[in-house]
Amino acid sequence: MADRTSGERYHDRVASWLTAFAMAWSIVGMLAGVYVAAELVWPTIDFGREWLSYGRLRTLHTNAVIFGFGVSALMGTAFYSVQRTCHVPLFAPRLAWFCALAWQVGVLAGGISLLAGWNGGKEYAELEWPFDIAITVVWVCFAIVFFGTIARRRIKPIYVSNWFYGGLIIVIAMLHLVNSLAIPVTLSKSYSLFAGAQDAIVQWWYGHNAVGFLLTGGFLGMLYYFLPKHAGRPIWSYRLSIVAFWAFTYSYIWAGPHHLHYNAVPEWVQSLGMVMSLVLLAPSWATMVNGVMTVAGAWQKLRTDPALKFIVLSLAFYGLATFEGPMMSIKSVNVVSHFTDWTIGHVHSGALGWNAMITFGAFYFLVPRLVGASLYSVRLANIHFWLALAGTMLYVLAMWGAGVSQGLLWLSLDEIGELSFSFKDIMASMAPYYALRLVAGIIFLAGALLMAFNLAMTGKGRRTVAASPPAVGVEGP
Amino acid sequence: MTWFIFAGDMLVMAFMAALAVWVLWGGSSEAVDEAARIPLQDELDGMKDDPGDG
Repeated sequence: MADRTSGERYHDRVASWLTAFAMAWSIVGMLAGVYVAAELVWPTIDFGREWLSYGRLRTLHTNAVIFGFGVSALMGTAFYSVQRTCHVPLFAPRLAWFCALAWQVGVLAGGISLLAGWNGGKEYAELEWPFDIAITVVWVCFAIVFFGTIARRRIKPIYVSNWFYGGLIIVIAMLHLVNSLAIPVTLSKSYSLFAGAQDAIVQWWYGHNAVGFLLTGGFLGMLYYFLPKHAGRPIWSYRLSIVAFWAFTYSYIWAGPHHLHYNAVPEWVQSLGMVMSLVLLAPSWATMVNGVMTVAGAWQKLRTDPALKFIVLSLAFYGLATFEGPMMSIKSVNVVSHFTDWTIGHVHSGALGWNAMITFGAFYFLVPRLVGASLYSVRLANIHFWLALAGTMLYVLAMWGAGVSQGLLWLSLDEIGELSFSFKDIMASMAPYYALRLVAGIIFLAGALLMAFNLAMTGKGRRTVAASPPAVGVEGP
Repeated sequence: MTWFIFAGDMLVMAFMAALAVWVLWGGSSEAVDEAARIPLQDELDGMKDDPGDG
């Protein structure tokens, strides 16, 4: 039985602000995404300005949605849930505020630097060395607040969501430190310590595990906290969730080389990446089954709770993306999918269908509780749900069509063994798919704008609200 | 190198198997159930479900 300190309150304002920042970055990032999608339909709309060019806006898009929207949402939900699952207020709340605000300043300044042409040339790690140092400082502070809160918890078990958030913090720190090793030349330019095939292996060790531990593991932390809250029942199999965490952690870290099939890296590295990607199916689907079985006793809530709809849909897309990824890592499938828009479709079935949906579900739950007011409009939230579903499906189907067409046309040979189609012809045939992708992006963005309006109006009804740790603790296994 | 990788893989698999056994057999069912209920018992006050419509 845990003791209790009276009068303590959870520190929730920092989570409120991080939620607001995440929403703002989602709009900025999706807007940039829609604009670059439009540039692929109408290439002249950069108007000859470098900062409006595809190369610069595309990196702004990925950085704003991953680091602005994604990390702000993860930081906010981690701060919110770690206090509650440990029955103590945040450790070092001022440091938590520093993390929250410094991260926003970093993403904003980083985004401007990308538009100005500063670019380290590594995918999902484009920011130059001054930003790499700043990211390290903020991340260490994030770790101190998170693990400090866990260290002084009043209940023995560390709830499974905290394992995933903790994995996110530790692994991303390791990946960032190694992948960012570089020799600065000027303030805006540095060169990687690694070269050639080594650089490629390190880059995709970073790149794929950033997808794994940030966009998958971090958001699984969100799922394991908010799904039981929404469904009003505990996770179906807690033991399975713990096994899935460790299996996920040990398998994922090997999977990066599947990005380098048929490249100048050793054959065994490519094969190892493929095998470990296939192994990943087990923990991924264990988690999906665990999630679906948790909702199984609360299907009636789907009729009235738009947030739960988002979470259930995110589980479906999680299952889809985590099946598709291992299949694409098989070398004989990859020979068709590599370098095509199929990969873009796969990434967005995860990013829109899984990451964005689970976050939307969490925010529709979180914001009314943080501001102490009812959700402004359930109807708008339901409209948002259908827009998000339509946008995601249209996007993914368009990119699947484009990608499979590209892959097969590139492999097509004529009777004397020469390429049947030129690269230019194949790109020209992509026009309808790219137009569909633009429409899909606009639909998804419209839904996000509705959500921002709905949550902002919910915030206007704010009243003072404070939640306290419960009196009774839990003795763990 | 192939043998090194194979040995490493086997160590990882041995760890996973041991972990699965430990999680499945370690700890009482009551304690695991209590841990699973943590998110449902995590605050004294706060809002109840009350969806509105603007």
